[in-house]
Amino acid sequence: MLSREELVMVGKVVLLLVIGAILQTVILSRFSVMGVTADLFLILTVIVAFSKGPIEGAVFGFVAGIVADMIYYGHLGMRALVYVLVGYCVGLLVMRFETINVWAVMVLTAVSSFCGQLIYGIFQYVMTPRSGFVTMVWRQMIPEAVFDALVAILVYVLLVRLRVFNPKPREAKLTKEGTE
Amino acid sequence: MPRNKVAWRRFVFVVLIIACLALLTVSLRESKSGPVHSIQQAGVSVLSPMQSWGATIAKPFEDGYHWITTLWSAHKQAESLAAQLQQLQGKAVQFQEQADENARLRALLDFRDKGTFPAGTGFVVCRVVGKSPTQWNAWAEIDKGSADGLQIDQAVVGATPDSTDNLYGKGLVGKIVSVTAHSAQVQFISDADASVAAKVQSSRAEGIVEGSVDGDLTMNYVERDLKVDPKSIIVTSGYGGVYPAGIPIGIVSNVGEETVDTYKKIDVQPFVDFHVLEEVMVLITPANATGVTSSATTAASSSTTKTTKNSTSTTATSAR
Repeated sequence: MLSREELVMVGKVVLLLVIGAILQTVILSRFSVMGVTADLFLILTVIVAFSKGPIEGAVFGFVAGIVADMIYYGHLGMRALVYVLVGYCVGLLVMRFETINVWAVMVLTAVSSFCGQLIYGIFQYVMTPRSGFVTMVWRQMIPEAVFDALVAILVYVLLVRLRVFNPKPREAKLTKEGTE
Repeated sequence: MPRNKVAWRRFVFVVLIIACLALLTVSLRESKSGPVHSIQQAGVSVLSPMQSWGATIAKPFEDGYHWITTLWSAHKQAESLAAQLQQLQGKAVQFQEQADENARLRALLDFRDKGTFPAGTGFVVCRVVGKSPTQWNAWAEIDKGSADGLQIDQAVVGATPDSTDNLYGKGLVGKIVSVTAHSAQVQFISDADASVAAKVQSSRAEGIVEGSVDGDLTMNYVERDLKVDPKSIIVTSGYGGVYPAGIPIGIVSNVGEETVDTYKKIDVQPFVDFHVLEEVMVLITPANATGVTSSATTAASSSTTKTTKNSTSTTATSAR
């Protein structure tokens, strides 16, 4: 059984996912910069993994990916696979290096976004060889990585201010986990 | 269930990856009516109203955002179009200039073909490069000189841009009074010192057309007994050896006839507007063709028209 604290956390994450889906569909998908829009699902996956750990990041990524695949009429499981990988890897990296600050969020989001786009791009290229993979690196992957990283800073700062996540206790917990 | 945290973590990760791959595989392999697609469509049908409401709520913000981005792009587009417009205006002016020049040269060629000139007369088309700065004199500087076969006392004819198919607008301009290797000075017949032996075409009354400082032409020394009707055409008579006979000068605008005068005094309206001349033709008649350089004589059997940005040259010979 989950403890009360864990239930609250699950509730927060579910609420975060719902709000993220609404914001993504209502606002972010309608505003593009240089032809790309921010991927809030990926940003939230990174932040959840960053704040809670690899399992939480992977599970959140899985659910967020399923929702994203539904919203964007994609192949069900494709984005889920990418987000699970992102959530798990980011969680592991943070656990290993124990670095929690806004710049780490930015860099990890940029790298995650680029890698996620890369995986998606390879999949697209395999499925549709005519799609210009190299062109998309410059036109889609790099701009979106930069855009996601910038939006991630805002989202992370906002969530910390709203006390949805509290990075310092997490750091302490990480230290404890490290000693286990 | 795995005992330690690391194993549990790995187990969850592997399960999620397998779930994703399974979903993806089924999604790719099954038909559009398969169970995974049905779940996806059900999810979409749940989410689509949310997207619709979102679109309604976001519309004003979206419009505002587009307005700002469009404003920026419109500003840049306006700058680009302004530069393009300026460039096109420059080209339009250039094309108009070329069209005007073409029209003037056509008028000159028409005059060459329809005018009455002595057989074997050569024509050298010259550009007017300068004009008298004062009204005390009426002359123009042309861009051809002795190197092109021009000599002093050669007649010069011209056509105004608005000349018509008939001889209106085309007529005698003057004569060369000074020449260098590559330029010459043309004295207009409207110059106060200019005089041309002329005759009234209809009545054959002869006289002298003289210029004045105010630019008007007057035909003097016409016998009082001879009848001269207004609107009669005045042409050169050919006397004096400078101007070949039959070149149109102008039309009679007024006939003055005082009882005390020995001669009629006829006001002549010139065919050519000396103020707007840009190209003229110098007539190289067989009489003064001696010493003409090879360029002019060679051109006696051919007609060549060259139009470049800076110079225009036409050399031709009347077949008559």
